[in-house]
Amino acid sequence: MDLRSVLSAIAETTLRTGLPVPAPREAVYRWAQPLGLPRNGRVYLYTGALYQLVPYIKAYVSLLEQLGKGGSRLAKLASTRLAARVVRPDRRESELVEGILSSIARLLSRAGVEYAYLYEDDLYSGVLLYDLGLEEAFRKHAARVYEALRRRGAEKLITVDPHTTYVMRSVYPEYVEGFSIEVVNYLELLAERLGSKPARAPGSLGAMVIHDPCLYARALGIVEQPRRLLKAAGVEVLEPRRSGRMTYCCGGPVEALSPRLARRIAEARLRELREKSERVVTLCPICYANLSRVARDETIVDIALVLAKGFLGVDGGAAAGE
Amino acid sequence: MSRVLREVEEALEDDSLRRALERAAENNERNVARVLERHPEVEHLAREVEEAKKSVIERLDYYIDKAMESLRRVGARPYLAETPEEAREIVAGIVGRGKLVVMSKSMVAEELRLREHLEALGNRVWETDLGQLLVQLENGRPMHTIAPAVHISRVEAARLVSERLGLELSSGSPEEIVEAVRRFLREKLVHADVGITGANAVAADTGAVFLVENEGNIRIVSGLSRKHVVVTGVDKIMPTILDAFKAVLVQAAYAGLYPPTYVNVTAGPSSTADIELHRVYGAQGPREVHVVLVDNGRRRAARHPVLSEQLRCIRCGRCQLECPVWQQSANHWGGRVYGGPMGLGWTAVTESLEVAAEAAMLCLGCMRCDLVCPMEIPLSRIAAWLKRQYTRRMGLSG
Ligand code: SF4
Repeated sequence: MDLRSVLSAIAETTLRTGLPVPAPREAVYRWAQPLGLPRNGRVYLYTGALYQLVPYIKAYVSLLEQLGKGGSRLAKLASTRLAARVVRPDRRESELVEGILSSIARLLSRAGVEYAYLYEDDLYSGVLLYDLGLEEAFRKHAARVYEALRRRGAEKLITVDPHTTYVMRSVYPEYVEGFSIEVVNYLELLAERLGSKPARAPGSLGAMVIHDPCLYARALGIVEQPRRLLKAAGVEVLEPRRSGRMTYCCGGPVEALSPRLARRIAEARLRELREKSERVVTLCPICYANLSRVARDETIVDIALVLAKGFLGVDGGAAAGE
Repeated sequence: MSRVLREVEEALEDDSLRRALERAAENNERNVARVLERHPEVEHLAREVEEAKKSVIERLDYYIDKAMESLRRVGARPYLAETPEEAREIVAGIVGRGKLVVMSKSMVAEELRLREHLEALGNRVWETDLGQLLVQLENGRPMHTIAPAVHISRVEAARLVSERLGLELSSGSPEEIVEAVRRFLREKLVHADVGITGANAVAADTGAVFLVENEGNIRIVSGLSRKHVVVTGVDKIMPTILDAFKAVLVQAAYAGLYPPTYVNVTAGPSSTADIELHRVYGAQGPREVHVVLVDNGRRRAARHPVLSEQLRCIRCGRCQLECPVWQQSANHWGGRVYGGPMGLGWTAVTESLEVAAEAAMLCLGCMRCDLVCPMEIPLSRIAAWLKRQYTRRMGLSG
């Protein structure tokens, strides 16, 4: 598989369909339908589609991997309707993602945050374009996203993952003229409102080792908030050798270019996490995907599911590591 | 895809490499933490060195002139070589043919392929840094700035030393290897015609050349032969002798070895005036000291808004040891000479923008390197800029 085809497919697909890999639009907002979230407001929940895309990215990458050299042809086909039918994510993974997002929505409501949802305007942020150096494609895409947000009257966005938070908070203002929307991460909001009083007895949800995502830890300074929340939710938080500001990457960012390298880095990190506990809590969909790809008897759980259990008593089932 | 990706993926199959790198990374992390805890003043020194480096990069031509003038004043012979070819020719002219040459590890010499060039001219050339000697013996390339043989296990080292040098070993323990190599090299060091070293810093105000080490080979290489040739990048120039000293201390600390066992200062050739106050050059030390300041893209980079940042680098190798990609692949990830986070910028400066841009595509953007670099070089920003150059070259910008 050659690098150029992969990059050009990602750029083209994003510009044509709004999403970096073949996926149906409604896959982005389907999760919200049962919740009846309001459509209009000034403060919007903005997922940037990253959680929702992970199952599709996984399916797409494994298809490219299987096809080996033929992968470049598929990569070229990626922006066609045909590819959308070939790339089929694992149903359980899609359900898991929907569970995570609705947990986040419910937690925000529990915390008394008032917000609306963007539904079909919950557009992909384009962060992958930016990360891969596809600058011009990113600029074009970001302008469209901003236009949609402006049309909806967004003054403040609540983001749910580190990549989207970073790109909206730190990169959009540099690339999109006039961008002045405030960006707050849901963990920051929840920590402020739910972090101070314990919802459960300390440690009653057992011990878990925390894996900080690079961007929260080093670019956004979100380190203390998730710990405070997990503790209040009844989790005993264990620190791996490299944690907080010096956390170690899960390898996810190179997955599209070198799945083997990504896997090796994930294995190295998981070995380290494992020294503290086989129950790992992740704070980012990319970390979740890349670490769970190499996990054997370890359980990898997204923080939203753990918090939902602690604060709402909602059981994310097997996904919550029980 | 590319050579870089292929080489990195091949390295992933090498389990012993991975284990060696993991060990090295853990040790370095612990050592540096210990040094900084015991000597917090080093972090202040790092800030001062950073400022001094910035001022040199802003006025590089001025400082090059000043350094050359000072070198002349102390009786050394300075040269400014714009390209690797020029630098090789200058050194070849000084060394000549059929000579015995000893070298201490220098990344700039690697840039020039200096050893190979001198050998091709019929000289016998020996590396005297143990790690670099092992790299020479395996016909490989250095895998880390400070620890060039980080990828070679003790078993492999013993094999290289006994097969390639014909040295007899019984246990093959590190102690035994070190002792055998010491005896082997002793003879070369004593009889060498020329000693070639790099430099960790060159003081513009005085022409003093600083070299920091622990093995003790550099002081012999630089002190015993009749000719001492220093080959170094123009980025190593520091405003004053005090700045230069700080730079070597900081480099040693961030390599995890502090205080360094030896700091060597050379300001011109050895001399004596003990007989009738008549100055005679070439007492016990060298009679000639030649300093070849190598440009090789550095002066151009100094004017570049992004790449100029890399020139502050003191080559401590910290960013490499902290990088998740480097920890899987060592310098297989990078250009011919420089690898890892610092290797992306240095490859762009000294070798090829194209190679650097392609290698940068494997950068995770995780920013660990940014946090550990004592010179506060925004390494991940350099990598991100290189990625943009890559997509541009691929015609993917629009
Ligand atoms: S870039 Fe920074 S950390 Fe890396 S070798 Fe240079 S000075 Fe050291």
